Amino acid sequence: MDAVLQGFDLLLGTPLAFAAIAGVAWGIFGGALPGISPSISMALLLPFTYGMEPTSAIVLLGSTYIGAEYGGSIPAILINTPGTNAAAATVLDGYAMQRQGMGGQALGISLYSGVIGGMIGLLMLVMLTRPLANLALAFTPMSYFALGVLGLSVIASLAGASILKGLAAGVLGLMVATVGTDPMSGVPRFTFGQVELLEGIAPILIMVGLFAVSELLRQAGAPVRTETSRDTARIRFPGRKLRRRLVKPQLIGASIGTVEGVIPGAGGTIASFLSYNEARRWSRSRAEFGRGSPEGIAAPETANNTVASTALVPLLSFGIPGSNSAAILLGGLLIHGLLPGPRLFEENTDTVIGLYTGLFVANLSLLAIGTLVLPICLWLVNRSRALLTAFIYALILSGIYTINASLFDVGIVLTAGAAGYLMRLFDMPLLPAVLGVVLGFLVESNYRRSLVLSAGDHAIFLEDPIAVGLLIVAVLFIAGSLGTRLWLAFGRNRPTAAGGRSSA
Amino acid sequence: MLERLKFPFSVAANIGGRCAAAGSLALLAAAALAQDAPEPAPYPHDVVTLITHSSPGGGSDVFLRELARQLEPLMGVNFVIEHVRGGGGARAMARVANAPADGSVFYAATPSFVLTSLLSSPATTFRDLDPVVNVFFDQEVVYTRSDGPFETFEQAIEAARSGRGRWGAASPGSLERQALERLKTATGAQAAIVSHEGGGDLILNVLNGTLDIGVGEAQELRSQLDADRLRLLAVFSESRLPGLPSVPTVKESGYDVVVTKFRGLSGPPGLPREVTAAWERAIRAVLEDPDYRSIYSREMLSPAFMPRAEFEPFIAAFASETAAFLRATGVID
Repeated sequence: MDAVLQGFDLLLGTPLAFAAIAGVAWGIFGGALPGISPSISMALLLPFTYGMEPTSAIVLLGSTYIGAEYGGSIPAILINTPGTNAAAATVLDGYAMQRQGMGGQALGISLYSGVIGGMIGLLMLVMLTRPLANLALAFTPMSYFALGVLGLSVIASLAGASILKGLAAGVLGLMVATVGTDPMSGVPRFTFGQVELLEGIAPILIMVGLFAVSELLRQAGAPVRTETSRDTARIRFPGRKLRRRLVKPQLIGASIGTVEGVIPGAGGTIASFLSYNEARRWSRSRAEFGRGSPEGIAAPETANNTVASTALVPLLSFGIPGSNSAAILLGGLLIHGLLPGPRLFEENTDTVIGLYTGLFVANLSLLAIGTLVLPICLWLVNRSRALLTAFIYALILSGIYTINASLFDVGIVLTAGAAGYLMRLFDMPLLPAVLGVVLGFLVESNYRRSLVLSAGDHAIFLEDPIAVGLLIVAVLFIAGSLGTRLWLAFGRNRPTAAGGRSSA
Repeated sequence: MLERLKFPFSVAANIGGRCAAAGSLALLAAAALAQDAPEPAPYPHDVVTLITHSSPGGGSDVFLRELARQLEPLMGVNFVIEHVRGGGGARAMARVANAPADGSVFYAATPSFVLTSLLSSPATTFRDLDPVVNVFFDQEVVYTRSDGPFETFEQAIEAARSGRGRWGAASPGSLERQALERLKTATGAQAAIVSHEGGGDLILNVLNGTLDIGVGEAQELRSQLDADRLRLLAVFSESRLPGLPSVPTVKESGYDVVVTKFRGLSGPPGLPREVTAAWERAIRAVLEDPDYRSIYSREMLSPAFMPRAEFEPFIAAFASETAAFLRATGVID
């Protein structure tokens, strides 16, 4: 109770609320620009925090993170371009809804779910930091390997019509992930003497290419429909019936987001894909997924906003940043002479309470700022196709160029776009490729790290209880999806209700 | 968020412009507040750009910002800090090597610019830059978890000799890994040397008992040391550190392994003599400053001033030692 009062005092007595609102507004803007990741949005603000009072500085950075994780979903829904890595899963159903003229509703669902996710994540952060910190500590290289495999197992259910094509796309993604410096020996691999490839190919380049550029190419080849936009420039929040339907995917998203956020290095992208997959598995209207399901937006968007809060657990309790964004936050703390770690909670109680209060305000203001900003975005994407295409190209390419001021990166995006266009022609699903790119490095480096630890003995994976648990779940996932496929293909002449709709 | 994590900070960002603008504003303010310093000989430039491949908030960024704040009144120069990310420093090296050699552009030199040059042979290497002056040594320490089985460095080495040790380093081509490989050879221990994606991963794996010992920079362990969750076993320096008098050196234990992480400045080739002389004077003076001394000793940095005449052969020796190590471990031909 004292802490709540103290938080209230801080709120009224310091520019805390201002920092929270400014952070969210800037974060949404940065997150919505493809290429400007949450961590870059935060890094851009870092110099401005030097002169600020420490708590406001930290709140400003933390709120930017929250805003950016949400902002990524705006271009994902409206123009098929994930603004951040973690918004990649939102593309699937969000853009499908937008194409059906329900973009306003999709944006409303993602904002509503983002705020819920953020609040649940904050609650977890405040109540459960200590137990959750132990969870982070329990993850060995073996567990990380198993976690990556679990992520890849999602391919089995998201592969679309042909499992073979899905696997091929997944392997393609894994191949891209091998480019760069070898994680164990430090030898450059598949870099062909290009300095730009030494640090590997950033997943965001591949995502933007595969999703956005290939979509623009496809549209360029389609005849111009006289697009009567049924959607007015208004966002629509879910009504009571829909809200009830979204509870389940949101709970799934929040639980997965809590766990993944706490584990350093796992982060929002895996969380959103896993929760998308789980929401689909447990949904009553599974066939709607991929065709504009509200649940398919709610689950990943709840998950990645939960992560934005719970990712602070390892940072605050060990001083170990679990993601690039958390690393920037660590920089912000250090600049102000605050050393995150086990003693922060005892020695800088003010700062911690201030941070919690600030994040609460940030989540609330997300709702307000989102409601203000979204109509403008909706208006923008309802212009004529020629204008829109030019605008999107300019947005994507300038965003990507900004990351490293590198034309090479722009080339990678365009190449990935061409590859994505070909994959669409051959009916190859794009998602497995994205999963491969995102998870390849995690799986490979931790597999090899484990084997270095055990001198090449694979039994080490069986000695780690978390790894065994996750691997079993992965095997069950794969067996389950394959079983369903076989059953649908051979077991019945008439497909089930769900299968019937998907084959229609 | 699955970009590869390299501790402490790894953002693929080139945000030099903005940071620089805000940074120099802050620096102006600092200069205004600073007390009257002895009248310096005028430096040939009003604005000097310091380039780093580190991201904002990263090790070299913090080093440059604090150094610039201290040097500003002394040299009468406005410093701009620019981040040129990518290629493990290769792009930053290229940027500096092609800058005018008039004392307006410098590069924060750490072992990683030598390592990148050797590992990936980019078009521009450390050989295309002129060493100017060294400022600090960063200390590499051996640590273990406080509730673990090892009380002393000898116990950890002994365990690895009789059984099989699990040792961790931050990244594959790092100075830390080099230190462990040399320690392994010197002690004849059997140890798996596991590299990570950064110091954070490594600390977690030492804390959770996956690894027996880890090697890292003292300052990134500070919060764990304060909370008594990690214990320092040894330091890879020539002699014991003033800040850590109870921690023995590896050398004391009878293994001749000394590893030095330098932090200095390099510039474009062919810098005029008066420019390097001005830097030598300034760095020597700033390291004596009591304010700065209290800041850098808190970060566990040891002052290690080296003028150009010493820094040049030092880097050359470091490079040949590193190349020999990389060849011996089969990383390069």
